[in-house]
Amino acid sequence: MTDPVLYNYDLDIDCYTVRMIAGCLGIALELRNVDMFPGNEHLSPEMLALNPQGRLPVLVEDSLVLTQPLSIILHLAETRCPEHPLLPTDPGIGARMLDWMTFAAREMGVAGAARATAMLGAPGDLDALRAQARRALRLVDDHLTLQGFKGLGFVAGPEVTLADLMLFPPFALSRDFGIDHDAFPALRNWARRVRKTKGFSTMPGIPDYH
Amino acid sequence: MSINGWFPLALSDAITAGSSAGAIVKGLEVVVWRDDAGNAHAWEDRCPHRGMKMSFGFVRGDHIACLYHGWQYGVDGQCQKIPAHPELDVPKSICVNTYGAAEAGGMIWAALGEAGDAPTLPDATAVRSLYIEVPLNTALAALPSAVGAKGFTPEGPVARLDSRWGMLLVGLQEIGETSCALHIAVAGRATPETCAQIAMAAARLRDDVEAGVAA
Repeated sequence: MTDPVLYNYDLDIDCYTVRMIAGCLGIALELRNVDMFPGNEHLSPEMLALNPQGRLPVLVEDSLVLTQPLSIILHLAETRCPEHPLLPTDPGIGARMLDWMTFAAREMGVAGAARATAMLGAPGDLDALRAQARRALRLVDDHLTLQGFKGLGFVAGPEVTLADLMLFPPFALSRDFGIDHDAFPALRNWARRVRKTKGFSTMPGIPDYH
Repeated sequence: MSINGWFPLALSDAITAGSSAGAIVKGLEVVVWRDDAGNAHAWEDRCPHRGMKMSFGFVRGDHIACLYHGWQYGVDGQCQKIPAHPELDVPKSICVNTYGAAEAGGMIWAALGEAGDAPTLPDATAVRSLYIEVPLNTALAALPSAVGAKGFTPEGPVARLDSRWGMLLVGLQEIGETSCALHIAVAGRATPETCAQIAMAAARLRDDVEAGVAA
């Protein structure tokens, strides 16, 4: 199998999510860097032909083109390392993982929008986006608080899964759009645990030290 | 604004050994951190080098280091090492402003200004800290009915409530004029189920007062 190609911009939150998780899964990617900001290269005719949504990341593997972090991550994991411990074998934990991955893609997507507005010149109402992102982060903080009373350290169960790795970037980068970590004690301690995942990597804005 | 007294910054179990967090008391930025020996510390949240928040930094053993340039400060607040100048005998004048710290009632406290004696509180089980974007008095007014109490007994920055789950100790942290934190603990030992119920009631309180539903 040849390495899948990831059209990537290093400072994009979703590109980081895919790079970091691929690293944790031990999957090599061939990166094609796209000058998203300030170059707007993701909106070039060539890139729009690949992904008419005008977004990164894009994964290309032979004739397969995937444009959503959730589907990219699941496809890579299921086809290249289905036995990996980041994929739970327990069906209940697996279902919870998918639930929180969907939450990360949908409810938490607002964090990426808030960050793009704050940092990368994207249009948007930053105050409104920030308020929505705070609400989404609180839902995870509340959930992790309750998980803690059950002795469970991660969103789907006792061990780290793909869902935790998908939820990590919006929290780790929240200062980029004006939300400090002070108000999220459960997320703060969870993030320290998530960072211990084998193969974990950072991006600019996330310190190597913690 | 002059700030005098002992103030709760966090629940004790939320600051694990080797970690740090930021806390704001009436606009004053404080870093609370715990060394690897288990002792909690509360300092001004500011590295004297470039003003970076120490709470962004990292704890190693018995010192905390600034994220910017790695300047390392021991438990007395004194700078011990500047990595860019490893041979330098660091001058005594380079130190972080430190405050007294204590743990009581399942919470970490900082002594700010003329603080007096550290608080004495019964042993308690930490439940959760709740951060709310309303004035402290607004949150406090809605607190008794949220936990099934008739009222509360204020003791400085602690409210005691006779709740449906037993005696609650709630540390009161005024972050600013429109935001606050409630550090919630229950006196004695509590089961995980009880803690979960209190935590859920607390989240409802937060959501209600922010929506303007509760008085």
